Amino acid sequence: MIPTTSHRLLLFILLLLSVASLFLASAIGSIPMGWQQWWTAIGDSASQQGELIWRLRLPRAMAAWFVGAMLAMSGCLMQVLLRNPLADPYVLGVSGGAAFATLLGMLLGTAVVFLPWLALAGSLVSILIVFGLARGTGPWSGTRLLLTGVVTASGWAALISLILSVSPDNSLRSMLFWLMGDLSYAKLPIWTIVVLAISFILTMGLARSLNVLAMGETTAKLLGEPTRRLLWVVYLLASVLTATAVSIAGSVGFVGLIVPHLMRLLVGSDHRILIPAATLFGGLFLVMSDTLARTVLSPQQLPVGVITALLGVPLFLLLLNRARLTGV
Amino acid sequence: MTQLSCQSLNVSIGGKAICNDLNLQISAGQFWGLLGPNGIGKTTLLKCLAGLSAPDHGEVMLENQNLDTLPRRAIAKLLGMLQQHTVYVFDASVMDTALTGRHPHLGYWEREGADDQLKAAAALKAVDLEGFENRSVTGLSGGEARRLAFASLMVQEAKILLLDEPTNHLDIKHQIRIMNQMERLVVNEGRAAFAALHDVNLAARYCSHILMLFGDGQWQAGPAEEMLSQQSLERLYQCEVESVATSNGIRFLPGA
Repeated sequence: MIPTTSHRLLLFILLLLSVASLFLASAIGSIPMGWQQWWTAIGDSASQQGELIWRLRLPRAMAAWFVGAMLAMSGCLMQVLLRNPLADPYVLGVSGGAAFATLLGMLLGTAVVFLPWLALAGSLVSILIVFGLARGTGPWSGTRLLLTGVVTASGWAALISLILSVSPDNSLRSMLFWLMGDLSYAKLPIWTIVVLAISFILTMGLARSLNVLAMGETTAKLLGEPTRRLLWVVYLLASVLTATAVSIAGSVGFVGLIVPHLMRLLVGSDHRILIPAATLFGGLFLVMSDTLARTVLSPQQLPVGVITALLGVPLFLLLLNRARLTGV
Repeated sequence: MTQLSCQSLNVSIGGKAICNDLNLQISAGQFWGLLGPNGIGKTTLLKCLAGLSAPDHGEVMLENQNLDTLPRRAIAKLLGMLQQHTVYVFDASVMDTALTGRHPHLGYWEREGADDQLKAAAALKAVDLEGFENRSVTGLSGGEARRLAFASLMVQEAKILLLDEPTNHLDIKHQIRIMNQMERLVVNEGRAAFAALHDVNLAARYCSHILMLFGDGQWQAGPAEEMLSQQSLERLYQCEVESVATSNGIRFLPGA
């Protein structure tokens, strides 16, 4: 499809809103700040409020944006991969592996700085397990991948419950926050930005192939797609994005499920528009959710996963209802 | 010379032979009709010829290269197939769906250009879907979806066209329209077509060659005028057939 002016405009608006959301997130929080104070503080990063903005709020908002963007993109990919609108980035066990490794680390008293690496290692192990078991030699089987992934995820869930049940009370709180998704201690290492950038470029290169794949595997083959290879590439891309996001913020729910759906309703299912739209909106959505998580019960902070679910569930049900009415 | 051929091809499904030792040469300018009763394996044979499934024995050659050894993209530039069923699940516009035919011709980050748009618009016009460009595929009728699938196939510009019951769901007017388009592609543009058909009279009107599948691996192939006779059709369909001479040649009716 040739992108229409309205699609370009929408992407531009989403980009502007994303930037605006970062500024907004830097201005509001448990320490109130007027706009004038904010403006002065932005210019003076050495001041107390400047430090608050530049060292605490903005890095956290940036982390939120990248996590949201990665999860939304991964959700788009998973939904095509499994040809199932209910697929989300976590359905194949990537976050389960990360959660198990992180919680084990917490239980054993690993230093906080190492936890993201444990999460990453755990999810990579899970990806390799599912990839290895589901690969086989026969033709591509989405069902086999789905079942292998879902069962692996259940295995992780059992191990997570085991850790939770033997952990001392004082570490349970941070474990639960991690499981719900929390950006309080989120750091955004440079390599995660690189992961998003590379994945985005690759996915955009595959976007037309994804459109064809959504029409069915046979159709895609007849139109020249080596579907088996394509499906594995999509699986690995989605998994690496999820693993990276989870290593930053824990398993934040619902972003990867509802953002692709919302954007599909808005721009249709051409992935050349859908992918950038979902990526931008996913970032925007998580920055706004995290800002709410910081402020709604301030000074107490909520895990952002609670907010995304609280916003996500009604929004999703509303959409589903609307879709039934209009037959989308 | 553009052609699809097979040598000593054995194809079966579920242990039941569809064809044994099949030798065919589908060349430019030929319009093949594939006839056989329901469930005899026409679709399975078409899938095998398209490289979607492997034969039990023998090989399929596309322009003198083994189909197995060619990458899908190379195959898609030369060979296109209209599948038996057209189901559009995901929402997309009619224009975008017609444009999917350009997929094998475009690189990874490449977008369809103005000439691709023109080709798609022309194909939509040829199948009587002009004015449908911005409609959603999920709202199309069975016949409209069928014509759209055919338009996508035309946009693919493959030299060899495999068609699985192309006139499914179509009214008489559009059956003729699609078959005329096929005839034009084959005769005027030197493409080759191979179509599974149920309408013997469409085969008699349009096909230059016929392949009949009798079951148990038995088959017979040849020029249409030699192949289509009352006796062969009675043997093929296991029912009485009456032949009628018309101004356009011999046509066939179910017998009493």
